[in-house]
Amino acid sequence: MKKTYKIILSLVITGAVFTSCHDDLNVDPTIDPDSFTEENVFATAEDAKGALAKLYASLALTGQAGPAGQPDITGIDEGTSQYSRMLFNLNELTTDNAVVGWGDPGLPNLHEMNWDASNDFSAAMYYRLAQEVSFCNSFIENAAQLTENTEVATYIGEARFLRAFAYFNLIDFYGDVPLVTAVSTDLPVQNTRTEIFQFVEAELLEIQDLLKESQANEYGRVDRVAAWALLSKLYLNAEVWTGEQLYTEAITYANKVIQSSYSINTTDANQSGSAYDELFLADNNSNGAQNEFIFALNFDGNQSRTYGGTTFLIHAAIGGSMDPAVYGVNGGWGGTRTTSALVSKFDSSVSDRDADGYPVAWNDGRAMFHTDGQTYEINTIANTFTDGYAVSKFKNVDSQGNAGSDTGGEFTDTDLPLIRLAEIYLTYAEAVLRGGAGGDVNTAAGLINQLRTRAYGNSSGNISVSDLTLGFILDERARELYWEGQRRTDLIRYGYFTGASYLWPFKGGVKNGTSVDSYRVLFPLPSNILSINSNLTQNTGY
Amino acid sequence: MKLIQTIKLLAFLIPLGAFSQQVVTGTVTDAGTGTPIPGVNVVIKGTTQGTSTDFDGNFQMEAENGTVLQFSYIGFTTQEVAVSGTTMNVSLQEDTEQLEEVVVIGYGAVSQKDVTGAVDQVTAEDFNKGPIVSAQQLIQGKVAGVSISSGGGAPGEGQNIIIRGQGSLSLSSNPLYVVDGIPLADGNIGGSRNPLNFINPNDIESMTVLKDASATAIYGARAANGVIMITTKKGKGREFKFNYAATTTVYDPTDFVEVMNADQFRSIIQNSGDDAAISRLGNSDTNWQDEIYRQAIGFDHNFSTTGNIKGFMPVRASLGYTDQSGILKGDNFTRTTGSINLRPMLFDGHLKIELNGRGSYTENAFGNRDAIGAAVDFDPTQSIYDPNSPFANYFTWLNAQGAQNSLAPTNPVALVDLKDDTAEVRHLIANAKVDYQLHFFPDLTATVNVGIDKSDSNGRTILPIEMPSSQNDWNGSLATYSNKSTNKLFDAYLTYTKDINEVHSINAVAGYSYQSFEFDNDSYDSEAEEDGNDFIFIDRWESVLLSYFGRLNYSFDDRYLFTATLRADASSKLNPDDRWGYFPSFAFAWNINNEQFLENSQVISNLKIRLGYGEIGNVSGLGDYLYLTRYTQSQSNANYQLGSGFYQTYRPEAYNENLRWEVGNTLNAGIDFGLFNNRISGSVNAYIKKTEDLISLVTVDPFTNFSNAIDKNIGDMENKGIEFEINATPVQTEDFTWNVGYNISFNDNELTNLPDEVEVGGINGGTGNSIQLHKEGYAPYSFWVYKQVYDDQNRPIEGAVVDRNGDNQINNADRYLYKDPFADIIMGFNTSVNYKNWDLSVATRANLGNYAYNNMASSKTYGLRSRENSILTNLHTDYFNTGFNTLTEVNLQSDYYVQDASFFKVDNITLGYTLRDFIDDDLSVRLYGSVQNVLTITDYDGLDPEIYGGIDNNFYPRPRSFVFGVNLDF
Repeated sequence: MKKTYKIILSLVITGAVFTSCHDDLNVDPTIDPDSFTEENVFATAEDAKGALAKLYASLALTGQAGPAGQPDITGIDEGTSQYSRMLFNLNELTTDNAVVGWGDPGLPNLHEMNWDASNDFSAAMYYRLAQEVSFCNSFIENAAQLTENTEVATYIGEARFLRAFAYFNLIDFYGDVPLVTAVSTDLPVQNTRTEIFQFVEAELLEIQDLLKESQANEYGRVDRVAAWALLSKLYLNAEVWTGEQLYTEAITYANKVIQSSYSINTTDANQSGSAYDELFLADNNSNGAQNEFIFALNFDGNQSRTYGGTTFLIHAAIGGSMDPAVYGVNGGWGGTRTTSALVSKFDSSVSDRDADGYPVAWNDGRAMFHTDGQTYEINTIANTFTDGYAVSKFKNVDSQGNAGSDTGGEFTDTDLPLIRLAEIYLTYAEAVLRGGAGGDVNTAAGLINQLRTRAYGNSSGNISVSDLTLGFILDERARELYWEGQRRTDLIRYGYFTGASYLWPFKGGVKNGTSVDSYRVLFPLPSNILSINSNLTQNTGY
Repeated sequence: MKLIQTIKLLAFLIPLGAFSQQVVTGTVTDAGTGTPIPGVNVVIKGTTQGTSTDFDGNFQMEAENGTVLQFSYIGFTTQEVAVSGTTMNVSLQEDTEQLEEVVVIGYGAVSQKDVTGAVDQVTAEDFNKGPIVSAQQLIQGKVAGVSISSGGGAPGEGQNIIIRGQGSLSLSSNPLYVVDGIPLADGNIGGSRNPLNFINPNDIESMTVLKDASATAIYGARAANGVIMITTKKGKGREFKFNYAATTTVYDPTDFVEVMNADQFRSIIQNSGDDAAISRLGNSDTNWQDEIYRQAIGFDHNFSTTGNIKGFMPVRASLGYTDQSGILKGDNFTRTTGSINLRPMLFDGHLKIELNGRGSYTENAFGNRDAIGAAVDFDPTQSIYDPNSPFANYFTWLNAQGAQNSLAPTNPVALVDLKDDTAEVRHLIANAKVDYQLHFFPDLTATVNVGIDKSDSNGRTILPIEMPSSQNDWNGSLATYSNKSTNKLFDAYLTYTKDINEVHSINAVAGYSYQSFEFDNDSYDSEAEEDGNDFIFIDRWESVLLSYFGRLNYSFDDRYLFTATLRADASSKLNPDDRWGYFPSFAFAWNINNEQFLENSQVISNLKIRLGYGEIGNVSGLGDYLYLTRYTQSQSNANYQLGSGFYQTYRPEAYNENLRWEVGNTLNAGIDFGLFNNRISGSVNAYIKKTEDLISLVTVDPFTNFSNAIDKNIGDMENKGIEFEINATPVQTEDFTWNVGYNISFNDNELTNLPDEVEVGGINGGTGNSIQLHKEGYAPYSFWVYKQVYDDQNRPIEGAVVDRNGDNQINNADRYLYKDPFADIIMGFNTSVNYKNWDLSVATRANLGNYAYNNMASSKTYGLRSRENSILTNLHTDYFNTGFNTLTEVNLQSDYYVQDASFFKVDNITLGYTLRDFIDDDLSVRLYGSVQNVLTITDYDGLDPEIYGGIDNNFYPRPRSFVFGVNLDF
């Protein structure tokens, strides 16, 4: 009997031990020093700033390890998933501004304009922007508990700006997408482009006073001028996106921007003869260019590393006889060049030609092409860097000619403007010519001449009011803004992106260019998203 | 002196006399051989009084006349003898029933006749021969339905095992390894090549493969991909015996990737008309692959002893040392293993204790595998050394600053010579298992098994300043890491065994199991000490698995066998509501040969029909904490600048609150047969496995989560197949024995339900290209390719692929699914012949219907690529077949590169000679020679058709090896 008791007793004890083991199933992720919970991240305003930094960083970097290793987006090479690199791919590579010789999946389809609904880049851009919306929604909800701190109220305003910026991109690329403003795992329904347009407009109008005064915020964080600038861009495209002409509103908000404390950089810090190239140097956060940057992505060769951003823009454009050291990097990736269609936009300023009559030097300082060893026209895009002029616009050297902070020469310091004042000048001029009220052509010509004076280093390139046509402005936008992620949107506004009214080399995959179906003004919704969400309807044509 | 001894003896005898008992002495011998048996338990029946025989089989104890003594010893029939007189000499008969093969089935063992599931046991004598470093290789080709292939030809290389086809998408497809009752953690720690490297293959007694769910169900949630139970050798016998085995192996590289030689390459460049490229040609003729591979040597020494201490403690101990070099220069693997096994038995066998300790210390020097691709790419007209090179005279493609051109391959010889990549791995696995057969209720045995499986590694990679680099400030680099993994096990279970009237036999097991897995990986990375870019990463995670299990085996008259199993598992990887899974299984078997009508059959010695069904859950390989919302802080090189400061960012992680168990339902029907007294034996199995709630990394709408992909229970998959195996001894005479074994299995996998298509199978060429797709209605990992168009000479036309949807555009919509990397048919054939003292064995294998994507050809064959980026890059000879010029997505993803990789391989031929009773009758010596990887017959154009996963890219060639071995038993 005694033994039986002992057995029962030991069974009871063992049972108790087993039951207590059940608690072991609730494992704690924070045993990892990089892992945190919501309570940690939103404990104080200072902690929440790390979460705010992610909202900016998700446009500049690709994940939590630099340059790669813990990606935000999967299913695509991490470096190529960076926002501004995809912006280049979708908005420049699809146009007369750029070609690339690499065989990356879906990449050749972009310039050939025959991408499909599973194209890696149009899909990854959708993922990146939708993810940014979710990051912002989560931040806005969680930071709400800290709003007694006025700094956090500004954070929330910035998060709402970034969400509006993501939606601005989404309706530009995809048209009708879901409008999601709160964290939820429920499958969303599709909203119209107009509904989202109105959301972006309302948000920007509402947050303008939440955001700090012009240039009162830290470098890299947006203020209310960014909201106005984005509004002016939104209104400029309203006719394409909603069918409603809002050029007067575009002028109104362009004016607010023009009258703010932001200023065109006119400091030729490196004595190159033009104050334009300073905008794309490693010290563009301090050489004067920063006063022109309304919204820019910040990069750093040591602390903010990515294979996208300006690291991509600079490395990818170097090849052939180009000396990487001139660009402050350790080598070229031999990929991106431009077509003769862009080069020819500078024809009126050619100052020198080679033996075959091709231009090799220009008075317009914005014509930053490397021509040595490169052909003017392209015969083969793939694996042939020397076909087509190379673009030397972006550099990782500062105004003194010193290379950036990564002594290895791999990652660049050069920041990348997404919205800069010069663009708003051009927006103003275009809105005036398109019939908006509240502006005038003389002011427009004056603004454009500011840009041209900077570009030429003198007034020799200045225009008169009679030169100012819509066609001139489109070309001027190409000259001023090429490779900055604007071209496709501009061509669509002019009706040139598809169809045959404007052809460029290899448009539609044909050497001399061919007509392209009009449905390609929109990218497809990712086929993978459509297969999991039956609420969504694919864009026409795909 | 003598007086003192006499007094002692008297003093000893006095108390005996006082209790009026007599001293009985005697010797216990083996009835078969007449040799004395030490360690025999001698007990007075009905009491706990007793003793055991000494080293010479003698015993001495007090016992009254007429009492009955029980003599028991493992492997012998227990004898009962009544005491009469003071001398008792007893001889024990070997118990033939106990010698019948016992099959390990998890939380117990059953005799072969009682097995109800699809179980294959391979014992040491049937293992593959030769210089085997990785335990998995012991049974390669031996078991139907089990595909084993090495990841490459490196020493100690990891092995890929797939039992009955690919079972999962996101989760691990590895079987569960159970070593002496300890289920190992899934996966491998950094610095180790193979999770089983800690086991010396010479220590393995048997490997049992549990294939169907009714057999694996007792391991529940970890057994979805089958179980391989490894039983190590135990102490046995009565005398200490020793074994020493040694091999010396020479590894020979057999084949290289086919690239242009210097003359071929030179003429292509010269004909290109590209003056800049022509000016870059060198004057040498270098076969770069020849320069990075070598003939390598390996040594292996094993010493083991087995015996019995003091008659009650069987013991086995072993020491092993392996030193193997790889054919890639700089590759080396050395391993020291030690093991000890003790099995004391106390209280008349009521308390059995088993103690296992097994440790290994491995030193890896990893050859630089970057050289494999670089040697294919590197310009054959350049010489290895260039006196003008700033990088220790290794020829380097330089840029204008004198650093390496950032797009150039690095000199392969510099890569193998200069990189120092080493790691040490310590692995300890120990367990204590106690079986207590209750004194007051002997039908019940309580078992507790406590184990620990602990490994840690330290590794470092050093690139010296001499290594060619494109970094302007190159100063060498150092990266170090240390990984720790701790897996703790606690099992407790009760076993109830009862025979009723010799007709009903019951064996029931019920228990509890707790396992925790902890990982702690730290790494340090410095590009150079002084530039401040040094990083420390710490990665820690843990998981817990908790289970209750029960199994009932019931046998009626040894004819009808029933098994029912239920296991409840809870995993910390799942949310509390979906955490518990309940997995039942049932099996039935009919021993037809025990029916009256076959009882006296001279032909059929064994015939059994089996039918089993079971459900098994799976979460192994699933990430931890996926159901929780959590934030990851950025590392110091992914910070973001706001104002003048850089901020570490917090990213909310994608989560799935609804993750559930992936559940596989398997139905298995089988027949086991034995003919002519089992001279011919074999089995047939047919199975169908439906995996439901298949977990896959699939697209999630990033508007609804924090990423674009999460692991989700999304699909269904079906694996079905038939397996057949037969073993026969066609000839068996005193001098001559011939054994033959053959197995064949057919397997088919299909994704029966998958709403989302998942691209997998990343390849070399371009950035981010992939070649495989998971799609409903197809096998997983099917190749997703363009259909190549050929000219009338049957040459592929560059860029010309079929516009399958006819929209005049070539894009992803024109890709189609073409073949998959899994063999439809796998065969193994092996045979052995023993003639007098000679033995000869041959092991062969064949895979049919497996396809491979030749990524070496597809990525390195483009004319323009050869002179791109201000350097020269060698071409694959497939350029002569295609003439392709540009590396484009369409060329890269052409079905031209998906090739039939069916093969027949002669894995091993071994010839041995045994000298029995050499010098004296206690020594026997076996000498043998063996050739491994003898022959491959295939139509596949690449280096080796046996490519796990089907993407042939920078494969480490499997060498041919020549082995000489000696085996001493004394």
